[in-house]
Amino acid sequence: MSAEAPLLAVENLRTEFYTDKETVRAVDDVNFRIERGETLGIVGESGSGKSVTARSIMGLVESPGNVLPESSIRLDGEELTEKSESEYRGIRGSEVTMVFQDPLTSLNPVYTVGNQLKETLRLHRDLDGQTLTDTAIGLLEDVGIPDAARRISEYPHEFSGGMQQRAVIALALACDPELLICDEPTTALDVTIQAQILELLAEIQVERDIGIMFITHDMGVIAEVADRVAVMYAGEIVESAPVRSLYSDPAHPYTNGLLDSIPGNQPGGRELTTIEGEVPIPNGAATHCRFAPRCPKAFEECYELAPEPLPTTAGKDDHTAACLLFPEDMKREDAVDEHRAANTEGTDE
Amino acid sequence: MATTVETTFRERLTRQPGPATKWLGVLLVLVALQFGAVMQTIMSTVPWGTIGGALPATAPWAALAGVGDALADLPTLLARDVIPNQGYQVPGEGWQGTFMGLSPAAAWGIRVSLVYLYSFGFVGWLGYGYLVFRRHYRAADWTPYDDMLGRLDGHRWGQFGLVVVLMFIVMALFAPTLGPTTVQSNIAEPFSHELQYFDENAGEVTTILVGEANLQSVSKGGGGRNVGPMQYDRYDRFHPFGTLPSGKDLFTFMVAGARVSLFIGLLYISLAAGLAVVLALVTAYYKGLADLTVVIAGDSVQALPQLLVLILLSFVLSDTWIAGIYNGGLLLALIFAITGWPYLWRAVRGPALQVSNEEWIDAAKSFGQRPVTTMRKHMLPYVVGYLLIYASLSLGGAIIGVAGLSFLGLGVNPPTPEWGRAVSAGQPYVATASWHISLIPGIMVVIIVTAFNALGDGIRDAVDPQSEAGSNEVAAGGGGA
Amino acid sequence: MFGDDVDEGDVLVSLCDLKTYYGEDSLLSDDPVKAVDGVSFDIHKGETLGLVGESGCGKTTLGRTLIQLEDATAGEVRIGDTDVTTLTGDDLQRWRRNSQMVFQDPESSLNDRMTVGAIIREPLDVHDWKTPRERRARVRELLDTVGLSEEHYYRYPHQFSGGQRQRVGIARALALEPEFVVLDEPVSALDVSVQAQILNLLNRLQDEFGLTYLFIAHDLSVVRHICDRVAVMYLGNVMELGPTERLFQQPQNPYTHALLSAIPEPDPTADSDRITLTGSPPSPRDPPAGCPFATRCPMKIRPPEYDSVDTEVWARVEMLREVLRERSNADRSLTERAREILGLSSRFSSADEVHDELFADVTLPAAVEDHIEEAMDHVRNDNETRARAQLREAFGSVCDEERPKSHVVDDESGTSRCHRHRDEHDEPSRSQVVSE
Repeated sequence: MSAEAPLLAVENLRTEFYTDKETVRAVDDVNFRIERGETLGIVGESGSGKSVTARSIMGLVESPGNVLPESSIRLDGEELTEKSESEYRGIRGSEVTMVFQDPLTSLNPVYTVGNQLKETLRLHRDLDGQTLTDTAIGLLEDVGIPDAARRISEYPHEFSGGMQQRAVIALALACDPELLICDEPTTALDVTIQAQILELLAEIQVERDIGIMFITHDMGVIAEVADRVAVMYAGEIVESAPVRSLYSDPAHPYTNGLLDSIPGNQPGGRELTTIEGEVPIPNGAATHCRFAPRCPKAFEECYELAPEPLPTTAGKDDHTAACLLFPEDMKREDAVDEHRAANTEGTDE
Repeated sequence: MATTVETTFRERLTRQPGPATKWLGVLLVLVALQFGAVMQTIMSTVPWGTIGGALPATAPWAALAGVGDALADLPTLLARDVIPNQGYQVPGEGWQGTFMGLSPAAAWGIRVSLVYLYSFGFVGWLGYGYLVFRRHYRAADWTPYDDMLGRLDGHRWGQFGLVVVLMFIVMALFAPTLGPTTVQSNIAEPFSHELQYFDENAGEVTTILVGEANLQSVSKGGGGRNVGPMQYDRYDRFHPFGTLPSGKDLFTFMVAGARVSLFIGLLYISLAAGLAVVLALVTAYYKGLADLTVVIAGDSVQALPQLLVLILLSFVLSDTWIAGIYNGGLLLALIFAITGWPYLWRAVRGPALQVSNEEWIDAAKSFGQRPVTTMRKHMLPYVVGYLLIYASLSLGGAIIGVAGLSFLGLGVNPPTPEWGRAVSAGQPYVATASWHISLIPGIMVVIIVTAFNALGDGIRDAVDPQSEAGSNEVAAGGGGA
Repeated sequence: MFGDDVDEGDVLVSLCDLKTYYGEDSLLSDDPVKAVDGVSFDIHKGETLGLVGESGCGKTTLGRTLIQLEDATAGEVRIGDTDVTTLTGDDLQRWRRNSQMVFQDPESSLNDRMTVGAIIREPLDVHDWKTPRERRARVRELLDTVGLSEEHYYRYPHQFSGGQRQRVGIARALALEPEFVVLDEPVSALDVSVQAQILNLLNRLQDEFGLTYLFIAHDLSVVRHICDRVAVMYLGNVMELGPTERLFQQPQNPYTHALLSAIPEPDPTADSDRITLTGSPPSPRDPPAGCPFATRCPMKIRPPEYDSVDTEVWARVEMLREVLRERSNADRSLTERAREILGLSSRFSSADEVHDELFADVTLPAAVEDHIEEAMDHVRNDNETRARAQLREAFGSVCDEERPKSHVVDDESGTSRCHRHRDEHDEPSRSQVVSE
């Protein structure tokens, strides 16, 4: 499409789930972009909506869930939310692919790894015969599986956990996707294996110039893989920044809390800084800051006004925080007014 | 706050006695209506003679016994003799001997309705009691079982099953009250009982042996030799389901048969389920060799053709003493249990193994909980739901099985009523005016078995909401016939 | 019972050549899983000893053996004068009061058909602790101790979050006032912020009740925060044990070194000198004959004649050995065997491909090439065992043949298992790290 369009642009993404008792807004007004060759890290605790965001992009939100109509997900400038299920299926396999936490959920235990790779290649790239086998072996070699020619005829359970995840990545790369979504791809793996997989993903990105959306709860992993980071809390992106800026200059009190509660970060002291309480379940639109009840810096207005993502300091557009304390170079009352203004603007839309 | 935790059940009860009193009040009314029957049970089942003999025969004791006997004779609401339906019609004078001179059909109808009203009232009272306890006296404000009951609440199919199963159980419990006549007088010893009717030819009330009357009210196809459903025979006896080819009352036969079916079914299920659950828990807890042994034993039993074994055993053992107990019902239940436990065991083995891998079992082991207690406290609650599901499904199978055996002339000894024999007896007349003999018992078997399956589905959806609907292998497997 | 006469800092629990194998009595499998394969160390009263390692290294089995949830195959767990592995019946029952376990998964460790109060009370009931009324009072006290409140007594686990459930698990472990608590990954299922709360709680409880912890974890940053000493396990063996800060700052064992360097730093500016290990750990059914870590070790000792060989080339040679080892372990499926018999293809037909894949872009020194060619001939002749033996003979070293002993590596009697601690070799921390 047009050259200026980012690879992925997500705007006003809202995804709701309906239970007998209530409506849960798992993702609430999420906006971000991913360029080619860039890795966006999405970090958050369980229940923050990071996985639902990924599933919404993949068109995998199933009843009783629903992506609200005002949401917009554009891949290469093309609107995905209007696609039918069958059109989505074509996109899912080839343009956007996903790597899940548990490799065994993506691999069918009754077919050999080669069989599954070939199946995908046949469907999306129309190969056959010896080319098909060679391409499949080549893919396994690309993801660093030694002795690929033999292992192609093995079943998933004969692979170790790390090798399984490599095979899943090979499957995901089979159709030359433009965007790779990784949902906690290393959480189930050991650190030494995690290091291998992270290295592999970095190599792949350089080689293929693809966009990667990397979801994790591990601040260490994010620091390593991401170019930009979005911190999610209760369905919202509370802070978004280039990775260095986020770690050197964390703005949102939640980000600060997350970084402070990493045990290795504070040698010496026995007592860890904690964020008291639990992640709330967001139901309905936000009427105030969802972090306020747990926030050490909360003040009166925090319980009255939902903050908007604004630059942390005026002019620093690439580092935003949804917190009434920012922009920090403004007086508090002015900052609050700024948020209020942005808020009404949002509602008018 | 601490005080709310500290209260015991009794303290909560004394603090708020209202709801419990109301609930107990309802119980008083229910008991009062049946007080005679309750006393009769007490007087007849407790061996007063032995106790009295041991004590010095003093006056107060004798008086007490006398009072007890007198109370036992009090009329009860649901007795046959309170609302009699047997009578005769004298021209111009209406019905004689029936309840308030109503027609036998009406009197019988009233009695049946009262029995069911009372029974459902009792069930309702139990449910109300649970709700009162839950709302006012339970310490926990929520338990996992609340959710299960909540899921059953919206489960129409399961509720249908529950209602029909309850009706079936009431039918079996109140069999002597429900029938228009009794098994003793109409089926077992018809030639030892008499009956009064108005002989039109003689113009007077005549007495006749029931057995002879039966010979005049047979259902053997058309040509005047048929007494269909809801008809009177020539002795003014009312037959809600018509008569058998032998002239006996089909409805009385059916309700008594329900008792037999339920007895065999329940005995079979309790034996098989008990064995199954014990084996499942033990093998899941110890695994290894214990598991292997039971797997081999279970597989061996399952490899036997169940129907064939049933036929063989009930034939071979038919002349032994064991076949005499409860007219062969005990034998049948035992054979069903011995051949049927692997089905139930297979059904609960999976859940038992699954729960045995939970960390809380390890936790219990780590502080030295005894294996039996661990199984009972930490494993059984998870297995029992599945046991109920499959027990309910295979109970239907057992009813079909018993009916099937009786159809083949095996199983329960005649003349004890059994549904299968009614189907068998009516077989030659299916295409005639006496279609009711086979059809009504057949349809009832279908309804009851469906109801048990529906109940099983309901329990499954309540216990395990993730499970997919629609698997009735056990019913099919246990059915056999 | 035990440890009353033990002072703070003295040895409380002592393991001596402890072995726990699985599947020995099974009728079907031949090789037992050597989950714990000869472990010896002491746990001092009042300390927190961390036990870290990758999944499958046997750390959880070791913890379970310590509290007698698994039977030891050989060796001793000595507490005072008693060898716990020999206890049975009432003695075992009495001993159980003193060591408890906190489990990993808060979803699975609490029976969710019981109220929280009943769960915490159960150990007290089992050991007939005082009167029922006093037990209830004790449970309320425990709820308060772990940061829950008394009105949670009649709640069910379903009504709690993961962090709160883990608090219940801790309260249950503390009910009998044990001295020794095995914490089996107690925070790995929790979110970071909740994890910090639980770690603080564990620290507070240790100070308050003088507890001794064995803290099993795979998250090294957690271990660094909470542990006094750390033992690093690999394939059933303790590779290194030492005071936490020394071990993290100056790891002596190559495996510890690699493990530590693999932790992602929460700092994007950190320059990583990561040693990425190749491959995955071997199967504990068939551990290597020599050093357990030999198959992946970047500092493996070479025969002196190959010292000058380029590290990249050497890595490829080791890779070939690894591939052959994996091949001989892989099951051959029925279809594969059928195809071989029919002469259609064999898995060995791909041997040349492996060779090309590994050595196409490097030039092998003649001495190396000869040996490899010879081994490849064996592979082509369908004799992988010969090929492996041949390669081992040519390129193997003490690491392949002999199990390394424990060497004392610091002032605080920290130990490390590595042949490089022997005088004739370079120390692993100083020797050049072979990495790609």
